[in-house]
Amino acid sequence: MQRNVAIIGCGQTKHGRLRDVNTAEMIAEAAWKAMEDANVSPDEVDAIVVGNMQGFGGIYDTELWAGELFGAPKPFLRITTGGTTGGSVAHGGYYSVASGLYDVVLAVAWEKHSDSKERGASTGLAHVAMANIFHTMQQGASIKWLVSLATGAATGVSAFQASCYMYRSGCKVKHLDMVAAKSRRNAAKNEYSHLRWPNCTPEDIAKTEWVSYPLRFGHVCPASDGASAVVYAEEEIAKKKTDRPAWIKGVAAYADEPNLMGENSQGTAITDLSEQLQCILSAKAAYRRAGIKNPRKEIDMAEIYQPFPHQELMFSERVDLFDDGKAWIALEEGQTEIDGSMPLDPSGGVLSTNAIGSSAMQRVLECALQVMGKAGKHQVPKDVKNAVAHGWGGATNFTTITIVGDSPRK
Amino acid sequence: MAEKKQIKYKTKETLATEGKWAVGEYKYKAWTHHEEFKENLKQKKLVGSICSSCGRVFVPPTYICGRCFRWIDKRIVVSDKGVITGFVLSTPMRKGMKILGMDPVEMGVVAEGEVLIPCTVKFHGSDTIVQTMLLNVDPKDVRVGMKVQAVWAKVLKGQLSDLEGVEPIE
Amino acid sequence: MKRKIAIVGYAQTRHESDAANTREGMVFEAAKGALDKAGITREAVDTVINVSSDYQDGRTISNLFLVMAEGAYLKDESKVEMDGAFGVLYAMMRILSGNHDTALVVGVTQGSIFNPHQISFYTVDPTFDRQIGLLNDVSAAAIQAKMYKNKYGVSDEQIASVSVKNLVNAANNPYAHRKISDLTVQKVLDSKLYYDPIRELNISSISDGACAVILASEEKAKEIADAPVWIKGVGSCQDSYLRDRNLLKLKSLEIAAKKAYEMAGLKDPFTELNVAEVTERFSHEELMIYEALGLAKEGEGKILVEKGVTERKGQMPVNPSGGALGADPILATGLVRMVEAAKQIRSEAGKYQIQGVRQALAHGQTGLCAQSNIVFILGGES
Repeated sequence: MQRNVAIIGCGQTKHGRLRDVNTAEMIAEAAWKAMEDANVSPDEVDAIVVGNMQGFGGIYDTELWAGELFGAPKPFLRITTGGTTGGSVAHGGYYSVASGLYDVVLAVAWEKHSDSKERGASTGLAHVAMANIFHTMQQGASIKWLVSLATGAATGVSAFQASCYMYRSGCKVKHLDMVAAKSRRNAAKNEYSHLRWPNCTPEDIAKTEWVSYPLRFGHVCPASDGASAVVYAEEEIAKKKTDRPAWIKGVAAYADEPNLMGENSQGTAITDLSEQLQCILSAKAAYRRAGIKNPRKEIDMAEIYQPFPHQELMFSERVDLFDDGKAWIALEEGQTEIDGSMPLDPSGGVLSTNAIGSSAMQRVLECALQVMGKAGKHQVPKDVKNAVAHGWGGATNFTTITIVGDSPRK
Repeated sequence: MAEKKQIKYKTKETLATEGKWAVGEYKYKAWTHHEEFKENLKQKKLVGSICSSCGRVFVPPTYICGRCFRWIDKRIVVSDKGVITGFVLSTPMRKGMKILGMDPVEMGVVAEGEVLIPCTVKFHGSDTIVQTMLLNVDPKDVRVGMKVQAVWAKVLKGQLSDLEGVEPIE
Repeated sequence: MKRKIAIVGYAQTRHESDAANTREGMVFEAAKGALDKAGITREAVDTVINVSSDYQDGRTISNLFLVMAEGAYLKDESKVEMDGAFGVLYAMMRILSGNHDTALVVGVTQGSIFNPHQISFYTVDPTFDRQIGLLNDVSAAAIQAKMYKNKYGVSDEQIASVSVKNLVNAANNPYAHRKISDLTVQKVLDSKLYYDPIRELNISSISDGACAVILASEEKAKEIADAPVWIKGVGSCQDSYLRDRNLLKLKSLEIAAKKAYEMAGLKDPFTELNVAEVTERFSHEELMIYEALGLAKEGEGKILVEKGVTERKGQMPVNPSGGALGADPILATGLVRMVEAAKQIRSEAGKYQIQGVRQALAHGQTGLCAQSNIVFILGGES
């Protein structure tokens, strides 16, 4: 009964500060590249799924005025879930084909932070809390409290999460430096990434200023402009279009209670921000659907959504690639390097390239490239049979997991 | 087929909250959970809501238990002592630093060289963490798991600032 | 379709201009109401789709703080940021894939937070049209209305009679926002002018409201509901931007309707459908919708209202609930249309029940001048 779906083509723009194109042109570049890579013409595309999180710079529903670039009239679906947007869009594209309603679907996700009027839009995190902050200010919160929060603004809830995670796992700031340095080095091999530093060392990262302990400026992701797109096809078409489709073997996207605060700063019953129950459950469900019983043996690499370095360690544990609290040991042993036994984020990951809407889609796209053998200089030097693409978002309570592999589910 | 049940809820009328961003000014409706929270702060008490089904305690109060999927109408006071579950250390405040368009040292809000320590605290009896500031401590000594107690403002006004923060207990 | 899918539960809040309720409260009310109606608990739901808009709600990630209120705690959850009926489509896809058997779709908008007409300005092309500063959803609709009137000789009175039909219908609907049981064409023509020919009573009422729908696959539907409402067909399509399309026709709605009819096996919608619940953000739009749905020939939508065909007692009742003119909680509106259509099939529409409904059409739209459209065909028999 279940239909097999594969990614047959990928396309992305270079990510950075793109002032020479407008949003529509940027999206078109990624979408057209994906269709070319997939060997499909716009007429062969049955439907389009899109998403972005334009943080209130005043450009909403871009696909409404950019529509012609995809060959309107076509069915569209718009999905926007914060940091997981790209992953949610990737799932939307998958489900569109898996449902049997469409055979070929284009999924595009993007962000153009540099168009925003507000600096706060750069991570979208400030705006998640904005309405809550307005509410709290009107309840007589002190200026000192507001100042204390603002000092960590670039990092928000992630900074508290880092502190919880370090306590839980015993990892140290030097491990965060190591993850960040690896990300910059890997990104230097990826022609589409934003922050590249070919020989970056943990000491280089350690020289950067503190934002707020435990996070340094060297640990913080950039705010990038960029778009990424994939084309999905059902099994018969996929096999005709390419010799090596990247099969979607399992997806899941569980939601947890918002961490730290609820609507208008109500209390929420999560005390350990590093527990991330929804990620654990999503991974279990996705592996089950993919028929993967032992992820440590069967998964060959992972693209973890890590705008902050502790998240690479934390989420790689939550998707069951390492024991709880032990990922830093694997890091020290070099297992997570590009040529290691469990490469994490060979593309550099979100730490080095963060166009919010696009970032979680890029994780799926990068896994597809690795399975298809098309990752160029950052291709991992081993056979990639199964890969995990992870995304997180919300008040660290959303997760998207996509298992990508070199053969369809049985 | 189940009958459509009448849902009664004991919230008071909603509270208008104003906000603004690049798109424009807006106004949305919040519940009045902070009203009861503030009334209790004035009496140096931390109040939460407790779900009759699972017994979870939410501080500040929440009106819906999402796990049991029911309204919460009971209240309970929790301890003003607890533990630190997470913290962040700001860089030392310096005169001339612009934060949110103001100079906090110049304004007297913080002292020159002061390190601000936003933290999350689990007060005993609560199943949630409250985000506040850690005071009267050397930043080098801060650890997750530290035992702390509430620091109350000298003059209590029934505002969130009545809870100035927490400080370590010996 | 690989699996049959039915609506097995639903609920909506009263739609008001400034409800004494938070959006969280409205979502909970709708979600809990839908579960109660279906007679199932939250545990029986496999996946939840939230429908809400960041801009309308004044919050990024508008579904973030609604997770608990919509029953999505530790469930596979996602969001669609278009009209609610598109959320139902996504939930359907999730069930059709075989990964899930039941789904809850909850849509909410509180129009009182941000004026939706103000938000529409930000969907206008930023490079050229925004600089001129004249285009928003109402002025664009006025341009379309003028084109339509001129081309087909449609009068303001004929357009106003749509407002009269729907707002009088709304008076029988306990959930509707704007009900005017003694409305006349003259009163519509005397109402405040926005952009000629569009007046106050030609524009949908901006409401605070939430609506929820529960879907189930065939096996589960038969366990849960003794009268499931089956989804016989669905079709959706999005048109080009305002300046790049012919505003005279709702081309994307035509395409969407054709797809839905084909899937449902409908050859002659006019005779085979017993009622239609459509989203008419402006009265003239409803006339254009009749034509795009194939209920009237090109330019002849006016004839249907002249002859009372789309009245409650007519051959092809449209919007007996009052439609969007009666209540428009923006992103929840398409879901409300589906619920109202389902109620007709289950004989639960009280004072505005149409007799003998076996097949109904529900329509939702998003974008300037009904740019993106979705059509559902619902049926009562197995």
